[in-house]
Amino acid sequence: MTNQETDNGTTRDDLLQRVALMETMIAEGRKSTARYGWIFVMWGLIYFVAMGWAVFLPFKDWAWPVCVTVGVLVGIVRVRRKRAHGAAENQRSRSIEAVWQAMCVAIILYVIAAAVSGHGNQSAYYAAVFFFVGLAHGISARILRWGVQGLVAFIWWGCGIALFFFNTRNEVLFIFLAAAFFGMILFGLYAMMLERRRAAALVQHHA
Amino acid sequence: MTNPEADNGKSRDELVQRLELMEAMIAEGRQYTGRNSWIFVLWGVVDLIALSWQHYSPHFGGPWAWPICLPVGAVLTVAGKVIQLRSPGYSKNAECNRVMSVWGMMGLAMGIYVASAMLTHFDWQFSYMAAILMMMGMAHAISAAILRWPMQGLAAAVYWAGGVAILAFNSGRATNVIWLIEMGVVMIVFGLYATRAEQTCSGRKGARA
Repeated sequence: MTNQETDNGTTRDDLLQRVALMETMIAEGRKSTARYGWIFVMWGLIYFVAMGWAVFLPFKDWAWPVCVTVGVLVGIVRVRRKRAHGAAENQRSRSIEAVWQAMCVAIILYVIAAAVSGHGNQSAYYAAVFFFVGLAHGISARILRWGVQGLVAFIWWGCGIALFFFNTRNEVLFIFLAAAFFGMILFGLYAMMLERRRAAALVQHHA
Repeated sequence: MTNPEADNGKSRDELVQRLELMEAMIAEGRQYTGRNSWIFVLWGVVDLIALSWQHYSPHFGGPWAWPICLPVGAVLTVAGKVIQLRSPGYSKNAECNRVMSVWGMMGLAMGIYVASAMLTHFDWQFSYMAAILMMMGMAHAISAAILRWPMQGLAAAVYWAGGVAILAFNSGRATNVIWLIEMGVVMIVFGLYATRAEQTCSGRKGARA
């Protein structure tokens, strides 16, 4: 009974091994997202700084290009350093990486094209950026079976919907800050907390 | 030499087995996309019908073209999926599940975005049309990376280029042409290509058996 042959010749042990492998990969994928939790916090803070600069400081036009460039550079340098330290990767974490890379490419192309062609103040444009971020969170949540990240996806989509209904400057600013706080900073801190707990448990286990 | 112990205690044979399993899963994932490529063809046709209706018969319920065609497309997709799931021999692996997650979430996000824009009458904005193509491109790009499928990566690039072009040309006529090319031609051609790839693969499997 322990090793029955199934229809297509796969034994029960084979299936159990496959399930165990998948479960390990899901856990490793979540760990990899948690390891990069600081990126969410960093981008949430960058949004706040850029918004603050654009509202309260001079040279408003430079706020977003400067802040986004700094964010991208810091992100690249830190990710490279982490990789150099030998962070483990599996197929699932590579899929998650593909999700965020595709989101970055889509947002960069879209934002630049909209800014250059003068469409950067349309409601559909603001909402679309929120939907891209929500889509990346949604796909990642489904792949990792992670309810909290699924909730974050719905926060981004909810804020995206709100942008269609509320479109004065102050309303857009408020919705943007709310999304950045709940969908980026809080989620990032939560992911970092999970990673810290895991690291502490690992240390205890070795001791 | 053939079976030296790896660093973390896994033998070479185990690693080779894992690699083979992963390769098999990627191949199955591609086949899964091929099996579902009728959805691309269906949506290409739905888009072509809606666009033609809106363009050639603007006074014959033209404004209702998209609100009617999109739900019909959604109902046909769900019905087709239900029939497919009930058919014998339908199987999925982790790779298929990941690809399904990508397209399922893309469908959900797109549905919410399109419905919100239509309800608030912002669906005339060029940034709205471009965003739809960018989302399609995003889903294709993620799926291409998961399945290591350059052809799908090319489809992603074409969608992104279309999104950028809509914003750059900034005209209703250009948007219609780009939309026609992207949603009609690219969607249908990729769907047919994936179907053919799936049939070829199934044929090879059958011949081996």
